[in-house]
Amino acid sequence: MSFITSYCHLTNESCLVNGQHIAGRDSESTDSWLKQLYKKQEIVYPKFYKMDMLSQTGFILTELLKKANPKLANAYQDDEIALLFANRFSSVDSDVRFQRSYQQTSPSPALFVYTLPNIVLGELAIYNKWYGENMFAVLPKFAADFYVSYAEILLSAGSEASLCGWLDIADEQIHAFLFFVEKEGEGLAFNSENLQKLAGTI
Amino acid sequence: MIYIGAEEIISPLGDRAEQNFQAMLDNQSGISLVAEAGLNKLPVNLSKIADLDFQNPFESLLEQILISLLKKIDADIIRSDRTILLISSTKGAIENDISDQFGKSVRFLTDRFLLVNQPVVISNACISGVVAINAGANFVRAGLYDHAIVIGCDLISEFVLTGFQSLFAVSEKPCQPFDSERNGITLGEACSAVLVSNSRSVFRDMPLGLLKGTSANDANHISGPSRTGEGLFRTVRKTMQVNGISDQDIDFISAHGTATVYNDEMESIAFDRLNLTHVPLNSLKGYFGHTLGAAGVIETAVSMQMIRNNVLLKSLGFKQKGTSVALNIIEENIPAEVKTILKTASGFGGGNASLIIQKL
Repeated sequence: MSFITSYCHLTNESCLVNGQHIAGRDSESTDSWLKQLYKKQEIVYPKFYKMDMLSQTGFILTELLKKANPKLANAYQDDEIALLFANRFSSVDSDVRFQRSYQQTSPSPALFVYTLPNIVLGELAIYNKWYGENMFAVLPKFAADFYVSYAEILLSAGSEASLCGWLDIADEQIHAFLFFVEKEGEGLAFNSENLQKLAGTI
Repeated sequence: MIYIGAEEIISPLGDRAEQNFQAMLDNQSGISLVAEAGLNKLPVNLSKIADLDFQNPFESLLEQILISLLKKIDADIIRSDRTILLISSTKGAIENDISDQFGKSVRFLTDRFLLVNQPVVISNACISGVVAINAGANFVRAGLYDHAIVIGCDLISEFVLTGFQSLFAVSEKPCQPFDSERNGITLGEACSAVLVSNSRSVFRDMPLGLLKGTSANDANHISGPSRTGEGLFRTVRKTMQVNGISDQDIDFISAHGTATVYNDEMESIAFDRLNLTHVPLNSLKGYFGHTLGAAGVIETAVSMQMIRNNVLLKSLGFKQKGTSVALNIIEENIPAEVKTILKTASGFGGGNASLIIQKL
């Protein structure tokens, strides 16, 4: 038995941590919504500005989860946290941008390297020095059963915790839900029913 | 025990696994110079399938490989609620629909073969295939399913070729993994499938044993390999440890070997750290090019054929040592009894994965 010890949601309008609203998009700002959230963090990581929206979303939400649950940042060995992510549209936002670059001007290698959905896992691994298991799946919709079954498999095969996420970004619309699963800790039991409830209408 | 078998391959070398293997024994490569294919309409070396379906080649290859696979297994299991289909791919049907690269093809397969469970697409860049086979074994070992059909498929597209050319990662000559003159990848397209199962009796031919596999991130760079081979070192060490396999137990390594300068160098460093430089090793990219999401599956399938045929296939394109650490690269096809093989993969996003297959 494992537990969902923290979780967060991001849409185009608002950001919630453990169900509590922590920030809303300032529509007057010249910064993108993700940049607005980045500037609220107490970190300096210029690589953030090079990332695509998928990676920026994963990065910001992981930082928020680390704040909400410091165990994500410091309770585990460097290879004990598995990353289990999925979405519906793969890396389509970057794919369309890269396609535009070579159809309209010249191909942009800086865009091309983000045209794979698992790049966000690489960005999280690099920043956090996480050497653990990685998987990125593409599914037609959020599937609580998939996360519960596969995260439990990872937890029984060497990983001690699992950072999981549904990161869907298409047509500039963000539907993101990250959650952290631990073998012990305070939170809801990690089962499909609870997970579906927390995910909401993501 | 988890079994793996019924391997199938569609590539420029043929549309059955046995046909592909015979062509490889005959030193054939799928790579050839294709006119007006690349940036600025210049010729590029590619491993391209000649007679692809015009309408929807991705969907059609998935269908074709499943039909071939079903001839090698108890075909009824495909409609079982105890079977899951895993598809390993990076860009799916991007040429058909950039905004839905997988969804439509997955729905087509679900209807066409009356699949009970929702198929899962695994998209982890160049390690997708190894991750997918490991995931299949994990699902079966955990008792969630009895059978996992794993298909790896990627096509050459203007999108991907242009991207790799913009990174200056494409070789002018056919790729030469681990060679001193290697200078980049050659892109390929292929579709390959295997069945992973807890039942020996569903295979028409003798299956092989699939041990536990693992993955590890380099935590270093999103598009360049770690100079120390950290992630590859960690995944192989983990895979060997959890299975109680020592460096003396491994008879052959099917390496990733993309033929970029930095990747192959990284692999040599990792294998040195693992005390595996004595083990006969090849890269199959000289036969198929780099088939991205299909690579892990097709290279595992060929390795299985090597076990069945008692042959170590040479690493096509290799002439002389080109890494700072010398590896035992296979230079001629050699008859040999191969019992335990290690398959590795490394890719963008810093991913690395490994698996071990044993003759029963």
